[in-house]
Amino acid sequence: MMAKLQEAELASLRDRYLNLDFEEKTYHLDPEKCIAYARACGEIAPRFTDPEDPDFQALPTFVSSLSSRRQLPDDFPRFDGIGMDAGKAVTARAPIRLPASVTGRSHLHDIYTKTGRSGNMLFIVSRMDVYAADEQHLASADTRIVIRERRT
Amino acid sequence: MILDLHTHSIKSDDGRAKVQNYCQWIKARQLPLDGFVLTEHRQFDFESDYSELARAFDLVILKGSEVETEYGHVLVFGVTEALTRQLDFAHTRLALADVISASEAEGAVAVPCHPGRPRVGMCAHIENLGIPSGVRIVETLNGGSREGEDAAAGEMARREGYAGTGGSDAHIVSHIGRCATRFPDWIDSEAALADALRAGGFEAVSFQTGEK
Repeated sequence: MMAKLQEAELASLRDRYLNLDFEEKTYHLDPEKCIAYARACGEIAPRFTDPEDPDFQALPTFVSSLSSRRQLPDDFPRFDGIGMDAGKAVTARAPIRLPASVTGRSHLHDIYTKTGRSGNMLFIVSRMDVYAADEQHLASADTRIVIRERRT
Repeated sequence: MILDLHTHSIKSDDGRAKVQNYCQWIKARQLPLDGFVLTEHRQFDFESDYSELARAFDLVILKGSEVETEYGHVLVFGVTEALTRQLDFAHTRLALADVISASEAEGAVAVPCHPGRPRVGMCAHIENLGIPSGVRIVETLNGGSREGEDAAAGEMARREGYAGTGGSDAHIVSHIGRCATRFPDWIDSEAALADALRAGGFEAVSFQTGEK
């Protein structure tokens, strides 16, 4: 199906799945874990590593480590191909003050095809929007999945 | 004037370079570029305005596009709003003939890129589809080419009488300027670039060591 995915099928997938929340989960962000993550990233700024700092907050990319129960909607079709992680991206909207309980709501943000040296590829972008307890939008974390056609 | 005619910024889904960082890299490394063209994948970036960056770094920053056809990927220079209304740039199976004719009608220029590359280069499709009509220029030097790919592109260009351009196909900062195109006259707009490509007299140049 991968190699034969036509524009109409792609449009149908987009119509059916984009921008519909399929997952919601609450995460408790522990300061120590966030500090360990920041240090592992090489971060030395006190606002990310020192709980006593008046501007103490989670490193913005920390939200990309939050794992939802499902990466795709339950009824999302399976494609014959080789699935791989194709990268992550975070858009930070407000500092995440620690400790914190945040809610992650996931939806499919984009589905698109492209061609490359390795053949036809289908890209699926899953976006988790992260909200504070008062519903302030804190961040968006995109996970990009690529399904590459098998070489014959 | 030397322009890198093939670069991607974070506006492309696989681009990891910010335009400002390209500018900083060019100046820090004293690369022999007078500017570059952002050819984002399957779109034309109408919204970004790089004029302040261009002034600050004394570089020419222009915009084009890289679209996908049955003959592989094609750079389009001199894109206008009218052209984007005629062609769905996001479509991954555009007809090359349509891209060429629509571009010509709107004053733009279509240039098949990395033609020696498997699957997404023109050479790979000629055996099945034949020599496409209307092609006048191909990218003969591409900074992302693997061994033999640029040689295949150059051989096809010589055989078919195509002019050749060069571009880095940079997706990360340090790749900009690997290949470029030397023009006889100064170019400061997308329309002027399309005119210069139609006029000819340019040449592909490589700043890499070793032939690919």
